[in-house]
Amino acid sequence: MENLPQLVPLVVFIPLVGMIINLLWGARLGEQWAGWIGSGAAILSFLVSFLLLTYLTGSNYQSVVVNPPFLDGWLSIGSINLEIPWQQRVDTLSVTMMLVVTGVGSLIHIYAIGYMHGDERFPRFFAFLNMFLVFMLILVTGNNFLMMFVGWEGVGLCSYLLIGFWFDKAKGVGWKNSLAARKAMILNRIGDFGMLMGIFLIFWTFGTLDYYKPGEIANVEYQEHLVAQLTGEHGEAAAPAEGEHGATTTEGEAAAPAAEGEHTEAPVAEGEHGEAAAPAAEGEHAVGPAIPEYVNNDHIATDQLGVFGKAQRMLEDGAEVNFGVVSLPIETVLVLITLFLLLGATGKSAQIPLFVWLPDAMAGPTPVSALIHAATMVTAGVYMMVRSNVLYHNAETTSLVVALIGATTALAAGYIAIGQWDIKRVLAYSTISQLGFMVAAVGIGAYGAAMFHLVTHAFFKALLFLGSGSVIHGVEHGHHDVSHGHDHHHDHDFDPQDMRNMGGLRNKMPITFLTYLVGTLALAGIWPFAGFWSKDEILADAWLSNTAGGYVVLAMLVIAAAFTAFYMWRQIEMVFFGKPRTEAAEHAHESTPAMLWPLVILAFFALLAGFYNVPANAGPFTIFGFFEWLFGGAHSFTVFLEPSVAYAHAGEFQGGIAAVALILALGAILLARRVYGDNKSVTADNTDPLYVNPATRQIWSLANARLYWDETYNRLLEQPFNAIGNFLAHTLDWTFWHDYVHEKVVGRGFNALGDLLSSPVDLGIIDGIVNGLGRLVSWLAGGLRRIQTGYVRTYAITLLLGVVLVIIILLLPMLQSGS
Amino acid sequence: MFQVPTIADLNLGLTLPALSLALGACVLLLLDLFVPRERKEITAWLAMAGIAVSFVLNLAGFNESGTAFLGTFAADQFTGFLNIVILITAFLGVLLSLDYLKRAKIERGEYYVLLLLSAAGMMFMSSANDLIVVFIALELLSIPLYIMATFRAPDLKSEESGMKYFILGAFAGAFFVYGAALVYGATGTTNLPEIFAAVNGIIAAGGSQMFLLLMGTGLILVGLGFKVAVVPFHMWTPDVYEGAPTPVTAFMSVGAKAGGFAGLLRIMVVALPVFVLKDGQTAAAWQQTFWLVAAATLILGNIVAIAQTNVKRMLAYSSIAHAGYIMMAVAAAGTAGVANEATRAALLYLMAYMFTNLGAFGIALAIEKDDGSDTGVDNFIGLAKSKPALAAMMTVFMLSLTGIPLTGGFVGKWFVFKSALDAGLVPLAIIGVLTSVISAFYYVRIIVNMYLKDGEGDPAAGATRYVNWAIYVAFAGTLLMGIFPWIATNLSDTVVLAVEMFVR
Amino acid sequence: MLELNVQTLAFFVFALFVLGGGLGVITTRNLVHGTLYLILSLFGVAGFFVLLSAPFLAVVQVLVYIGAIAILIVFAVMLTRSMTSLHEVVNRQWVLSTIVAVLLFVMLTVTIILPVWGQDGSLAGQPVSEVVATTTDLGKALVDGNQYVLPFEVASLLLTAAMIGAIVIARDDE
Repeated sequence: MENLPQLVPLVVFIPLVGMIINLLWGARLGEQWAGWIGSGAAILSFLVSFLLLTYLTGSNYQSVVVNPPFLDGWLSIGSINLEIPWQQRVDTLSVTMMLVVTGVGSLIHIYAIGYMHGDERFPRFFAFLNMFLVFMLILVTGNNFLMMFVGWEGVGLCSYLLIGFWFDKAKGVGWKNSLAARKAMILNRIGDFGMLMGIFLIFWTFGTLDYYKPGEIANVEYQEHLVAQLTGEHGEAAAPAEGEHGATTTEGEAAAPAAEGEHTEAPVAEGEHGEAAAPAAEGEHAVGPAIPEYVNNDHIATDQLGVFGKAQRMLEDGAEVNFGVVSLPIETVLVLITLFLLLGATGKSAQIPLFVWLPDAMAGPTPVSALIHAATMVTAGVYMMVRSNVLYHNAETTSLVVALIGATTALAAGYIAIGQWDIKRVLAYSTISQLGFMVAAVGIGAYGAAMFHLVTHAFFKALLFLGSGSVIHGVEHGHHDVSHGHDHHHDHDFDPQDMRNMGGLRNKMPITFLTYLVGTLALAGIWPFAGFWSKDEILADAWLSNTAGGYVVLAMLVIAAAFTAFYMWRQIEMVFFGKPRTEAAEHAHESTPAMLWPLVILAFFALLAGFYNVPANAGPFTIFGFFEWLFGGAHSFTVFLEPSVAYAHAGEFQGGIAAVALILALGAILLARRVYGDNKSVTADNTDPLYVNPATRQIWSLANARLYWDETYNRLLEQPFNAIGNFLAHTLDWTFWHDYVHEKVVGRGFNALGDLLSSPVDLGIIDGIVNGLGRLVSWLAGGLRRIQTGYVRTYAITLLLGVVLVIIILLLPMLQSGS
Repeated sequence: MFQVPTIADLNLGLTLPALSLALGACVLLLLDLFVPRERKEITAWLAMAGIAVSFVLNLAGFNESGTAFLGTFAADQFTGFLNIVILITAFLGVLLSLDYLKRAKIERGEYYVLLLLSAAGMMFMSSANDLIVVFIALELLSIPLYIMATFRAPDLKSEESGMKYFILGAFAGAFFVYGAALVYGATGTTNLPEIFAAVNGIIAAGGSQMFLLLMGTGLILVGLGFKVAVVPFHMWTPDVYEGAPTPVTAFMSVGAKAGGFAGLLRIMVVALPVFVLKDGQTAAAWQQTFWLVAAATLILGNIVAIAQTNVKRMLAYSSIAHAGYIMMAVAAAGTAGVANEATRAALLYLMAYMFTNLGAFGIALAIEKDDGSDTGVDNFIGLAKSKPALAAMMTVFMLSLTGIPLTGGFVGKWFVFKSALDAGLVPLAIIGVLTSVISAFYYVRIIVNMYLKDGEGDPAAGATRYVNWAIYVAFAGTLLMGIFPWIATNLSDTVVLAVEMFVR
Repeated sequence: MLELNVQTLAFFVFALFVLGGGLGVITTRNLVHGTLYLILSLFGVAGFFVLLSAPFLAVVQVLVYIGAIAILIVFAVMLTRSMTSLHEVVNRQWVLSTIVAVLLFVMLTVTIILPVWGQDGSLAGQPVSEVVATTTDLGKALVDGNQYVLPFEVASLLLTAAMIGAIVIARDDE
């Protein structure tokens, strides 16, 4: 048991091996082998994560920092005191993430064996999936921000590769796919900029990037409580643990300084056995886990603490951070850091203002959408903020911003989802909306609730995506059958993802339908599905936060929840109910078992996962405590998280809010049933009933147009950016630097610039600049080459100008000081 | 009193790496006479052997430091580290040239001699301890480059490239000499440590000799800034890089920068670190100028690179941008106490840049046709299909140039940004981060072309055995530096250039 | 401050040679005349060396620059007759060049003159070295315990490289 955490490198290593095998020999191994090697790696990795979980439950959730072999001192430069070790962290938070990533990941791998069947780059797909697991697990197991950043960039890369996986599809679809990939890449670069700035600031402020050093205690309160309880059990077996609280706490504190004298350095300096938090020496009694040696971090010198510990110390001391020119109080610095990190989170977790890439990312194969763009990667931002809860908790300004961003995103994306036709696009906006819930939860300080929703969402959203994949697959095959049966195949423009082409699939694909229904109910927050519990937890915490911001957030989230129920039921009606609207839907048939089994398993969890965090005193909602009894106590998940997330508190259950939310959700479903039910989900002229009705036409159109968000970005950012790029490259370097005396060229150049600016530049982000500029510059270069002989002297005069400039800059301060 | 210096006085042992290479070049010139015309690869192999000998000598003497030739030549870990960079560059340069020269039908033994001489010039530069030696080494590294750039003659572009480089180089060289003369005028010596000692006196006197020193510093910056291609002395770069034969471009893009920055660092950090305008300031008087030059270089280089359609031109602007990052470290070296850290950052950056850039040029060379055409960015379309291994390695090079973690480029950027922050140049560090985000635009474009665009895919006929070897080495170096950065940092950690003597 | 003696007079004469020659080089349209102006200018520089008590350098200046380089240029110009005179004005940036050059000139002059006649005149009144540098002195300096051994040797390498380059560029492939 003691040594179990040492297995954590395997979690990363196994998928790495899988990836390498598939990358090098995948083509030779064939589909079957490649698929099972990829899936096997994921499953093995899941098993290791599970072992880690058993370790945690057996050791009072004591965190462990592990130094993987061969990698110690990853970045370590003695002379400038730079020390960023490659360490992995096993604590309840990271293990939760590991379980989600590898668990859902395994199922999706298996599903992909069926889904990707027959694809020409089948092995490469699995290599990419495994590569994604590698980076995602580096992200969640790392013990410092740099490792997080490595994983962060890595998953971004995998996301990019996988979105563009079908870059070679015919009829321009492939080009659209690669554009989508590029869009994701670029928006994430903006986020990465925030991330990098945040990390630099952290390093500047704290001199380290480690979350916690080995042996440091994340949640002092929990530790005190635990030690009190354990000593109580050992010392006076008869005494009830609760009653002795006060006495044993002081005893524990008295014991701490005594221990301090003996081994102050040992647990800190030794990276080798980092599990100093659970030294065997203390546990004389073989029964029960060892009593931790320290209850707090007072024995560790400030410069030996990790980022969070140090932040707390600095807050207590009211320290100032010196930035050379200015020095700022630590509170302000924390606000800056968290705002920068937030920018990173809005990129990766698709929040306003950077969310526009996620809907386009659905261009990737469906397993990718399920794994990366719904269940795991996009939650990295939430994970990062929960991990940094100490920083966010102490930066109130940022927390308010976070809450508002999350709630606004939840609302806006939920609204947009109503007007979408593409089955995966609806789910994409739904994902954005749900991520908004999690981010809002972080903003109101409900870190436990955010993680809880992250976990349940991973299950039901993965389920929904896989279900939609099954539907798409079915319709596509149906279409295939049809166009082979008939002589005149209307092959052009058939979109198997357009819900207008579906309908009545509930009989054709019964298992898909049932599991999809479970996912829908869970997402809509219907009792007793998982989504109900996790969403309610967030709403309750928003109420309990007891601030104006909290109430605003609550109101927005409740409305967003109603939207959720509405658009999900709209989807159910369009896809599964009514009559088939195309021949393809008519001929659709159920998918293969490899695809169905994951659906069933995920449906099981979408139903059950919520029970692991049922609130206490929820009256009828828990059947008067029955669920609590059945699943081992109230808020067990939050309690599980507490040792590693210092501010993960569990909110009290709010029956009224739960009831309102539930009624609203049910009402929205009924409303959707009335609008779309009875085979009128798509009108005769192929639009939405809401569009036909004049009263709701505007509302629906706006949602259908996605609130003109992309267009606004195009107008506000892209076009000016193109213009500036043109100006800098063309005017500044070519015209001004190179040859501004040649009137002819200036004249011609400006004409070209004018033409370029006046013609609508409506291409992808890079494309606009690159193509436009490329044409312009190559044209110019061609023109200029003919008068090349005039060049050298132009260069020379520029050099001379440079000389004058440099000397002026150098002399200026001298002249000032002289006068 | 005339005294014949003894061998012991000259301290020849320390100069062995540089001297052996120079000597090797001379011997090669003779041996080449006996190599038949159609078997010039023998000359190349001999050149590589010469480089290897120098490399071994350099490693053997890595940790010995001292001065030789009576103070004009300094050998220390700074020299040792840079010599490693220079020698690897030269070695890979020869490997890249071998088949290319044959293909382009411009194979001549003198090429390798010139390459060795240029490398020797760079090595003298890295150990120059005297302004005169700096100047002569600068010329020794430049003149062979001018000739190599025209090696494709009578190809017009190549001739034009060498001609431009020569005229502008001579122009900039004149500024350097003028600057050195002014510094001599102010301090009465050309020896760097002696200048260091004299500067204190000038500041104490507060006299108007400060003007001479300032002007001299500025003109030295012009001369060396031209060589490393920083804005506003960068104009020649794209034209010369585009016109010169590709292996020459690869060699000079790294070698000339290594030499130029060696000179800049030596002069600024050894001779002029305490040169402040008022007593008690902690940043050297030249820091502000360097800072502005670095910022301008970063912004212009990165943005204009976006507009390039020719890969060699794009890499030229990219190399301007990278000079900006190294310049950032040089600027950081102007702050008291940060000098050594910043010097190491610059060295690490150079090393990472060397591997990455040589690799990228190697691949550009591989898809180039025999007549020097097909170096457009569009020629990379579909490369992932025709040459997956090359495409994968190009991807790594591009990511490294962008500065993505686990590549050498990231490690270099990390240290440079850190030293800039430590030196208090926060805005400059921010500009650096922002521009490296911008740089992703044009680097990723190559990756997009290779992987996501439909196309035939170039057969990459130029990827012959030796070229492949060179690319492999560059690839391994890029990854090694990214994943195991401590190999390089351990080496750089011993570098101490600045005399930590800020008491006045 | 400024005494009128033979030396001062000679200085101004030589200065006239140097500057006038330089002006002639850049204004004349005839390349042969340009070369002759150049010789005049170089001769003026040799005169400066004499005034600075460096007769050896003066002689070398005359021998190398005038005797060898300038004559080479004359030959080169003669052999490429077609371009001995230029009829078109190709330089359209002379306005800007003038401005920048004047700026640079002013700045350099100010910085160099300031230490001599400036606020504190710290270098004013220092006499020109009276010691005449002989050939022996120079020769010794290049190999002596002085500091020019290395530059001297490296310069020889430099010349080798330049020579190789000249041959490589000029040689026709047979």
